Amino acid sequence: MFYIHQYSCISPQETFLKNDIETLHASTENILHVIEPAYTGFPPGALRRMGKASRMGMGTAMQVLQNNAKPDGFIVGTANGGMEESIRFLKQIIEYNEDTLAPGSFVQSTANAIASQLGMSTQNHGYNITHVHKGLSFENSVIDVGMLLKENPEHSYLLGGVDEIASYNYNIEYAAGCYKKEITSNKELYNVNSSGSIAGEGAAMFLVNNTVENASAKLCALATLHTDDKRMVLDWMRSFIEKELPAGETIDLFLTGDDGDSRHAELFSSCEALVNIDTTIARFKHMCGEYPTASAFALWLACVLPVNKPLPQHMLSRKGAEQNIKNVLIYNCHQGVQHSFMLVCRAL
Amino acid sequence: MGVISAIGNSVAENHMSLMQGKCGISHETTLSSKYAGLLPFGAILFSDKTLKDRLSVNGQPVTRTTLLALHAFKEAIDDAQLTASEITATDTALIGATTVGGMCLMDELYRDANSDKASVYAASYDCASVNMFLQKRYQMNGIVNTINTACSSSANAIMYGARLIRNGLAKRVIVGGVDSLSKFTINGFNALHILSDEYCRPFDQQRKGLNLGEGAAFLVLEKEEDVKDKKVYAYLCGYCNSTDAFHPSSLSENGEGPYASMKGALETAGLEKEQIGFINAHGTGTENNDEVESTAMLRLFARPPAFASTKSNTGHTLGASGAIEAVYSILNLVHQEIYPALHFTEPIISTGLVPVQAYTKKEITHVMSNSFGFGGNCTSLIFSKTC
Repeated sequence: MFYIHQYSCISPQETFLKNDIETLHASTENILHVIEPAYTGFPPGALRRMGKASRMGMGTAMQVLQNNAKPDGFIVGTANGGMEESIRFLKQIIEYNEDTLAPGSFVQSTANAIASQLGMSTQNHGYNITHVHKGLSFENSVIDVGMLLKENPEHSYLLGGVDEIASYNYNIEYAAGCYKKEITSNKELYNVNSSGSIAGEGAAMFLVNNTVENASAKLCALATLHTDDKRMVLDWMRSFIEKELPAGETIDLFLTGDDGDSRHAELFSSCEALVNIDTTIARFKHMCGEYPTASAFALWLACVLPVNKPLPQHMLSRKGAEQNIKNVLIYNCHQGVQHSFMLVCRAL
Repeated sequence: MGVISAIGNSVAENHMSLMQGKCGISHETTLSSKYAGLLPFGAILFSDKTLKDRLSVNGQPVTRTTLLALHAFKEAIDDAQLTASEITATDTALIGATTVGGMCLMDELYRDANSDKASVYAASYDCASVNMFLQKRYQMNGIVNTINTACSSSANAIMYGARLIRNGLAKRVIVGGVDSLSKFTINGFNALHILSDEYCRPFDQQRKGLNLGEGAAFLVLEKEEDVKDKKVYAYLCGYCNSTDAFHPSSLSENGEGPYASMKGALETAGLEKEQIGFINAHGTGTENNDEVESTAMLRLFARPPAFASTKSNTGHTLGASGAIEAVYSILNLVHQEIYPALHFTEPIISTGLVPVQAYTKKEITHVMSNSFGFGGNCTSLIFSKTC
């Protein structure tokens, strides 16, 4: 599909600028909050007006564009956009009984605030879009960029996935059964047999184009589906590998979005059973938590995994034969219904 | 095609209302808000209960936004005579747009966020819930997506769908958008002082702002070679998405974004500007939009073609407007006629542009439809009688 050249990630781990995936920071009360950096390079006053999603999105995007890269468009996936700002505005409406309100939060709450702010701050008049399809928001952004780079082979694009966890969406999703009832540390996420996951958030941005030279990785293929039928997911996974993995190549790493929810345990174990016996299996949601665009974190992870060195122990579910990981299959599933497969080929 | 709006519950009813110059904006609404009865809205006067009965979704927790979407979706797939196996095929995509999504249930959302017990709507507040409902109800297996670029959302859904076909990622796409009236958007636009307390008057010197409306529209797009002997209303020949990159809630004086999206749509269609017979303008009735859109039209066309805004009929339906106006643009082509702009009396002094004010029969081959959104997200589409 396309090559990844620059990338940046703000997550609950020390990923921003440091790419430290070895140290595992712990969750607090079933939430993994991002470690926000001291943002630099923002216009004065701009930071104060932004909600967390915008700050994370802008922070990672500015990092990716720091070498004066001028992408031809901005494609952002975000299920919730400016959640904090939406809530602020909603509270005002209810608590002031719809009396005259300040519009700032309303303007900042729109889902497209991140992509449009990126357009504004770089004075870019090109393609600009926001995909909001919940657990497949980032995947649809990937599909979009894949098409853009077929339509305009010389272009480059900024691709990202951003979502924040605020008290309101946590409470609503908690009440809906998405998160664990008992306090569970992210370090124990896969060892606890209970329903629900732990919440997370993050932003990951990528500068992508069709140039193979100096690329960190190639995103080779993507498939998405909606279903709660495990057999269908397995069928899709089988045919995805058959169709997309080049002959003679093997999947060196199967990176799964196992969310530690006992209701999905069988789904993930069945998928794991489909890869070769000597394929390494690793997981990522204990690092970023469960959120709709967590697959963007997984793609970033595939870019920064160590070469010629073992994976961090906390990620490993099964150590396989190949230490030099070239082909990574990422499988993510959001709330048991939205599924995606991404095949990533790393430059070694 | 399928559509539901303040001027009708079907394509045929909307067509009749457009011909008669009917205004669907009034002080009647089913909405619970302080502003209900105070401000005019382009409301659909079916209660949620009536919509559920019409659509046989009784007993299920479904938001008004989803109900309106389902109403238009059903009409569209029936009209296109899609079979169940075509709808469930892996090469049939569903691309829908919305800005409000389940936020029409603001009081429920507020209660759910502040209690331990979830209401039946807890999974329905986001934008994706609308298309995930349609996906599940119709067991769709192709690409499903939701787009939110504010007021240009469903124009982008149509463009994304067309590009899926062009790139071989789908054989047919069901594309559209929906929004229902919500306290969230009413208070948001009110806080920005761009809601008019009178009927909106697009492109009028005395315009006082927009009227919010609600509605939904879906269209079925297929590749020309797959169409065979099926009924074809029109061709989608041009599209362009471009950013104004100026301000979060207003357009630049020169209309860089609108100019670029209109110009880009002409380029993808391979058309000269003189070939555009009519523009279904974004024309919200706000001070900023109408002046900037006029400026951009003057810059690009020098002498702009006939134009009007159907927001004077329906109100501004936000995430639905691009799809609803796509249906109206196609009706322009199918019936070779132009529908009048309502409530217009005097042109904007600085631009002097006058929209079409009477129902007119006219030979039209290409219609441009504009949608511009907050954050500067501008998209223009071109529909054509022949390709």
